[in-house]
Amino acid sequence: MMGRCTLHIALLVCFSTSALAVSYKLLGFQLRSSSLECQELLLKLNGTSKYCLKDRMNFEIPEEITKSQPFQKEEAILVILEIFQKIFDIFSRNISSTGWNETTVENLLATLHWQKEHLETILEEIMEEENFTWDNATLLHLKKYYLRIVRYLKAKEYSTCAWTVVQAEVLRDFFFLDRLINFLQN
Amino acid sequence: RRMFSLLGATTLVLVAGAPWTLPAAVGGINLKSPQNVEVHIIDDTFTLSWNRSDLAVGNVTFSADYQVPRNDTWLKLPGCQSITSTKCNFSSLKLNIYEEVKLRIRAEKGNDTSPWHNVDAFTPFEKAQIGPPKVHLEAEDKAIKINISPPGAKDGIMWALDSSSFTYSLAIWKNSSSAEVRTKTVYPRDKIYQLSPETTYCLKVRARLLPRKIGAYSPVHCIKTTVENKLPPPENIRIDAKNDIYVLKWDYAYENVTFQAQWLHAYFRKIPGSESGKWRQISDCANVKTTQCVIPQNTFQKGIYLIRVQASDGNTTSVWSKDKRFDPQLQSVLAPPVINMKSTNDVSLRVYISAPEESENKSVNQHYSVIYEIVFWENISNAERKTLEKRTDLTFPNLKPLTVYCAKARALTADERWNKSSIFSDPVCEKTKAGNTSKTWLIAGICVALLSIPVVSYVLKLLLRCIRYVFFPSSKPPSTIHEYLSEPPLRNLLLFTSEEQTERCFIIENTNILTAVEEPDQAGEDHKKYNSQTSQDSGNYSNEDESNGSKCGEDFPQEEAE
Repeated sequence: MMGRCTLHIALLVCFSTSALAVSYKLLGFQLRSSSLECQELLLKLNGTSKYCLKDRMNFEIPEEITKSQPFQKEEAILVILEIFQKIFDIFSRNISSTGWNETTVENLLATLHWQKEHLETILEEIMEEENFTWDNATLLHLKKYYLRIVRYLKAKEYSTCAWTVVQAEVLRDFFFLDRLINFLQN
Repeated sequence: RRMFSLLGATTLVLVAGAPWTLPAAVGGINLKSPQNVEVHIIDDTFTLSWNRSDLAVGNVTFSADYQVPRNDTWLKLPGCQSITSTKCNFSSLKLNIYEEVKLRIRAEKGNDTSPWHNVDAFTPFEKAQIGPPKVHLEAEDKAIKINISPPGAKDGIMWALDSSSFTYSLAIWKNSSSAEVRTKTVYPRDKIYQLSPETTYCLKVRARLLPRKIGAYSPVHCIKTTVENKLPPPENIRIDAKNDIYVLKWDYAYENVTFQAQWLHAYFRKIPGSESGKWRQISDCANVKTTQCVIPQNTFQKGIYLIRVQASDGNTTSVWSKDKRFDPQLQSVLAPPVINMKSTNDVSLRVYISAPEESENKSVNQHYSVIYEIVFWENISNAERKTLEKRTDLTFPNLKPLTVYCAKARALTADERWNKSSIFSDPVCEKTKAGNTSKTWLIAGICVALLSIPVVSYVLKLLLRCIRYVFFPSSKPPSTIHEYLSEPPLRNLLLFTSEEQTERCFIIENTNILTAVEEPDQAGEDHKKYNSQTSQDSGNYSNEDESNGSKCGEDFPQEEAE
């Protein structure tokens, strides 16, 4: 009986040290629901589409995101966090000219923030537990991409049309984000 | 002639060699390129530093160039042209900080230049270090309000997109000799509580950017807390979810005060700018006299909120209480997980835990990381085994074969701050399979049984026959004899063994002389001699004794023929 007991304890210890304390399955679940809510909120924000066609711009989203190249789970979390952070940063800027419903924008920011906080906690756990290496190139390309969007907004002086274009672009980002979330399931 | 050609050749060589041998011959300095060239980037300040290679020989200046990936030409690096010292600042250059850039530097003296020293290509953002953040403090009686501005200039480019992604950690200590340093993670606008009034505290803050950038500490700031307020703030704020309402409760030492409560989206703390106008009143808690109030659940959507309460006695108001971080998702009830158990071949049980089914109001488990407490016991003995697991698929090995075990599970929040747990799921029970060795014995046993059935039945059959033969003999003759007697004439012969067959034959005289035969008394055979010819004619003999009814005529010729 004692022998079996110690064996069980030993097994538990082995498993708990080797297994990461993050349930990727649950995280994927959460991320998907957050992404869905954000998309619903974004769609609620009305855009004046016709007059803004001339303001369209190709922001050149990085290829690593669009071509669904496979990511390691930890790298996927890094990239997903980066996207959430940047979208939060964009929408916390001057939105007054758009005439968008303030409550909707607040809810959007609240959802993004909620997911961001949780991802940050998990990432800190990962950093402590593992020594994994990642390729900075994807993150840098993402940062460049979002810099283009922010510069565009500044250049257009945060006009309504500029925001509409950005809203459409960010909606597209969520589509690619959903694909990235799938990498957490494997 | 040979001499002339030789002379000509040497002069040619000398003339050709002059440009590079002459300076050496003159005794001038061969300029060497700078050594140990390094790039340092702190926030938006870009510096290039190097060491002189030669010992101080006056009037040596340095110049640097840069190159961006799309352009193949080298451009002059502003702020780093004709520098006499060993350091230069090129922050004025508006680079794309996420793109690689190459630098090169050389020494110059008059018209002479050293070879270029190339700096390895680098990405400014990757190389950049986080500088100290700016801190602004405001003292209360038992708390200090802090307001942290992100590192770098306000319109700086390095952290332009990351300003709301910084996390800050703060170190605080009392300004006395044997002070204990307390570190905690803080928001850009936050308060540090649990301090003593009228004490000087010193603190320093540094910023951190995930994944791996840690910044430098700010300079140390010291401030003295104020005199203790008459009216302390409410303490120990807690929120409990019940059915479709939230109950907000707090503690307060004094009576005859009214309270009010406010809430704020937590993300406002991360966005630069003032949050003072963003706190909203919780109308159900305005001017309450009790230390609790009831809020309907639909007030709070998904997100993270901060709630604070203030006391007032009519004349004075207390300071605001400590912000209570509130996540509605978490406050609602954790649903119990779904547990399944299967017995595996090697006498163990595999347990699968899955998230509970989605109900109308999405349960917490889906949004937060939870761990599971699994209670496992043998159905009969009731001796329980408890484990805490993050995994949703685990095996309990080395169990007793053909025994019933049961398990139940409940969900707990992984983060101890929130300390929430669900009720236990319904227990599931499963019987373990037989072990490998006993299984093979079982299979062997079955095979043997199957094989032995025909054997046993055959043996039984034999036995039965034997018994029957001994105790119940049959009156039938053995089969061989039975066969032999199946032909009719032979049967007749057998039937007459008990009686002698006597015949009296009278021969009718024909051309052949026939001898009359007397009626024999012998038991033996009757022999009558006949001529073969007569026998042929005498188809119609008659016997005196016709009881036997047999024709003897046909038999005799046979005898004669012998």
